[in-house]
Amino acid sequence: MYSRFKKLIGKLYAIALIVFALWYGNFIYPIIFSHADHHEEPPAEVQVFGTTVKSPEAASFEEEALKKVMKEQKATATTDLGYTVVKEQYVKGHFHHIGMLVEPDETNVCTRCHGAVPHDKSKPIRAFLNMHAFFVACETCHIRQKPNQGPWAFRWYDKANGQVVANPPELVATEKEKYGNYGTKIAPGTLAADGSFRFLNGERERAFVTDYLKNKEGLSTTEQSKMKKVIHRMVDEKPLLCDGCHTSSQTPYIPFAELGYPPRRIQQLTNTEVVGMLHKYSDFHIPKFLLPGTGAAWSEGGRGKPGQSSDPKVDWAETSKAK
Amino acid sequence: MGKSSFKTRVILFFAALLLFGAGGETYAEDELNCVLCHKHRGLSRIDENGNFRLFYINEALFEEGPHVRVKCMDCHQDISKIPHDPAKKVDCTTECHLTEPSGQKKFSHKPVADLLAKSVHGKLDAEGNAKEHQQDYPGCKDCHEEPLYRPLSFFKGKAPGISERGLSRCKTCHSTGNFAESFYKHVTSRLQKMRKPTEIVGICAKCHGDKGFQQRHDLDDVVTSYKETFHYKAIRFGSEETPDCMDCHVVKGESVHFIEGQDSPTSASNKQNVPTTCRTSECHEKAGPKLAGFQVHVTYDKDKYPLQHYMLKFFTALMAGVMYFFMVLIILELLRRLFPNFSFRKPPDDDHHSSK
Repeated sequence: MYSRFKKLIGKLYAIALIVFALWYGNFIYPIIFSHADHHEEPPAEVQVFGTTVKSPEAASFEEEALKKVMKEQKATATTDLGYTVVKEQYVKGHFHHIGMLVEPDETNVCTRCHGAVPHDKSKPIRAFLNMHAFFVACETCHIRQKPNQGPWAFRWYDKANGQVVANPPELVATEKEKYGNYGTKIAPGTLAADGSFRFLNGERERAFVTDYLKNKEGLSTTEQSKMKKVIHRMVDEKPLLCDGCHTSSQTPYIPFAELGYPPRRIQQLTNTEVVGMLHKYSDFHIPKFLLPGTGAAWSEGGRGKPGQSSDPKVDWAETSKAK
Repeated sequence: MGKSSFKTRVILFFAALLLFGAGGETYAEDELNCVLCHKHRGLSRIDENGNFRLFYINEALFEEGPHVRVKCMDCHQDISKIPHDPAKKVDCTTECHLTEPSGQKKFSHKPVADLLAKSVHGKLDAEGNAKEHQQDYPGCKDCHEEPLYRPLSFFKGKAPGISERGLSRCKTCHSTGNFAESFYKHVTSRLQKMRKPTEIVGICAKCHGDKGFQQRHDLDDVVTSYKETFHYKAIRFGSEETPDCMDCHVVKGESVHFIEGQDSPTSASNKQNVPTTCRTSECHEKAGPKLAGFQVHVTYDKDKYPLQHYMLKFFTALMAGVMYFFMVLIILELLRRLFPNFSFRKPPDDDHHSSK
């Protein structure tokens, strides 16, 4: 009995060692052979999205841009300060630290084609509109409730899976901690008679868009135009404007309180003076007294005193016209 | 409502926020309350060249760097209205409102830019002509993001972070505002490297690790070859004592912005000066001059370095031969243990034996 047991142990030992030797052989392979010739020629061309992208010298502007985007996507940067490590999204050319990783919206049907930074038309406000796109779904402003539709409501959805989630607790955190980067977005939906909620762009719409994009290449260009019209049929020509939500009205378009915004934040978003200013003044420039350290209060860059300014933009009194 | 009227109202909305909506916290040098808008994490757009432009400022991190004492408009000087037009590229050589205490002059990074211009990284050659491949020569932002302090505590042994006890001593006299804390962070951060060696290597590798860059400038892959050295292995395991790129390529006492090519007789990496570079007091102080007599960045290009290339091939073959030969031997030995009676030879015929 003992000798059989000893024999079994011996065989198991041999099998284990064989497995280890094979694993080790595989493990040391890259260590031994990784010292390749390091002076490799850069590849003459690279396949990206099925497109042939040529080497830097021969590449067009568009090809270079695509290569850059591919290289930098999902890039992160880490700064070790000893007492803490700052891990953040790498944004090429962005000097200031952002100290966060952006949770991308993986589910919104609009961003599948329009991207996460879609606003570009209106120069003065495009960045602000894109800022809203960080935590407000496109359909919130671009699809308005139609007269024949049932009741609507707004909910937060998880950017990762599109499911309804509870109001993010970060809303009540201080601004420095997590302002706007909740991993969730506000989106509108319909309320059924039994009180159940369904997003306007729910699972069914997401599946449809996925399916459409998959089969798009099989359609003629005319058919694609037709489908474009169909997909955008609910989109309003004129989107919701800023004062739809940033209003002193008791019923802003987005019900902030219902969505978990604390009173302090609601006060900031619907500030009475702000709304009043919005209606009373038509232009705004920084008065020089707000620009300390730039030399004489009214003489920077050859600009004259109030009333004598060669550039009226610098003079608050001249440019802030009451309506 | 007309389109322009809407835009105007939107513009004024933010203008009004500037004046009246300043309910949030603002830091000392943000007198215009720029963070009122720039605190929003998604404030961004895609520019005309397809670049993602993010305008978010993380206040907490901004306060952890030396620029906290600089006003936004000291750097972004072209902004004169809110909301503002696309801001011009910041010129780091402009004078800001700070007075440089040692010389009582307005502070500027111009001396740094002058050094960089004279270095191997400068865009002009010795005759003042533009070098080839201008896009490859670095500007400030290619190597620097917003600098962050890495304060150190020396109170009871060296440790990362602020020593509250040490700081309290400063505050006994320097109690106004954040002066003591800021000064403490500023000085102690500079008593060590402002960035970890791995980060330094990563910065240099952005250009020097790029195959296209190497080809354009006929440079060896110094990043890969450095990463094969003991120096980098130690750094990879967290050491800050072993040398990164700066330690060997900057002459001791010189600015890190003044790196010279190895052909320059005053360069730290010039063949004549390499022993001196290695023998600095923090490194191999007592080493002989032949310590660095070898090729430090070993590369194996067949045409440029045939000896190194064939040496590598030989040692690779030797290593593989030894390792895999003995591995096969061990496996065969173990198989014999598993199958002691196994044989490829035909077993003897039993009948034939018995008939005998």
